[in-house]
Amino acid sequence: MVKTTSSPFGGDARTRVLIALRLLGSSFPRELSRVLEIPVSAVSRALAGLERDALVDGRTVGRSRVFAISPRYFAKPELESYLLRLADAAEDIAARTTQLRRRPRKTGKPL
Amino acid sequence: MKLSSKSTVCDAAIAVGSTLNQRGNTAVLTGGACVAIYTDGSYVSKDADFVIRGRVRQAALDEALGSLGFSRHGDRYVHPSIEFYVEFPPGPLAIGADLAITPVELSRGGNTALAISPTDSCRDRLAAFYDWQDRQSLELAVRIARHQQVDLELIRRWSETGGRLDEYQEFLKALRLARTARARKPERRS
Repeated sequence: MVKTTSSPFGGDARTRVLIALRLLGSSFPRELSRVLEIPVSAVSRALAGLERDALVDGRTVGRSRVFAISPRYFAKPELESYLLRLADAAEDIAARTTQLRRRPRKTGKPL
Repeated sequence: MKLSSKSTVCDAAIAVGSTLNQRGNTAVLTGGACVAIYTDGSYVSKDADFVIRGRVRQAALDEALGSLGFSRHGDRYVHPSIEFYVEFPPGPLAIGADLAITPVELSRGGNTALAISPTDSCRDRLAAFYDWQDRQSLELAVRIARHQQVDLELIRRWSETGGRLDEYQEFLKALRLARTARARKPERRS
C-alpha cells in the first residue's frame, strides 16, 4: 500500500489506533478494526505495542478487553492535544467515529 | 547473592536492584512490590517492576539478572525457585505527570536497592483509584499510609493539582476509619 500519511508513532496502525482512542475515549479491538478498516489482528498487534510503551492501558470488562490512552502516561495532556491535531488530518477516522452510537439505549427499545 | 524458594519479594527486589546498581544502572523499584514492602507483606505482589533511568542494553540486563538465576521469557525475567517475576516497564519514573520523583534506599543483608518512597507508592496507588475508580488501590493506599509515614500534605497538593480533591477526601476518610478501627481493636490478653 502506498504511504499517504505520516505515522509519527511508528507504524500506520499504531498512529491510527491512538487517534481513534483519542476520539472515542475507550474502545475494543473489534470496534477499532471497524473504525479503522484494518484487520483485528493488526489492531491487536498495534495495541500490544502501545501497551508495552505504556501509551495505552487495557482493562477486562466482561469478556472484552477495553483500551484507552493511559491516564498514567506522564505526558498524557500533551499527547491528547497532539492526537486531536492529527485527527484533523485523519478525516476518514473522524467520519467513521461519528457513525458509532455510544450513548445509552434503554433495555428492550427497538433499534 | 542467592535467591531461594524462601526469598520474599523484598529479598528478590533488593537483590535485583542492588545487582543492577552495582553494574552502573540506576534501577528504581516501583509498583506492587513496593506496596508489599511498605505494608509489611499484607499485600502479595506477583512481580517486581523496575524503571531504569537512562539506557541499558538488553544483553546487559540478561547478564545481570542471569547472575541471580533469572532467565528472560519475553519481557519477563523468571526464576526457577521463586514465584514472582521481574519486569522493566518503560520510563520515565513518574507518578502521573510528576517527574520529580526522589527514590529512597532499601537495604537488607548489606545490599542496597532504590525504590519509590512510601509517599510516592501511596500516590501511585491513589492514581489508580483516581483514574480507574479502582477501590482495591484505594485500600492499598490506606494500608501504606497506616504502615508508613507518608507526606499527606504533599499528597493533598498533588491531588488538588489533578482536580482530585473529592477523591483525596475519600482517601482521608478511609484512612481515619482504618486508624479508628485499629485503635478500637481489643488487645489480646494472655
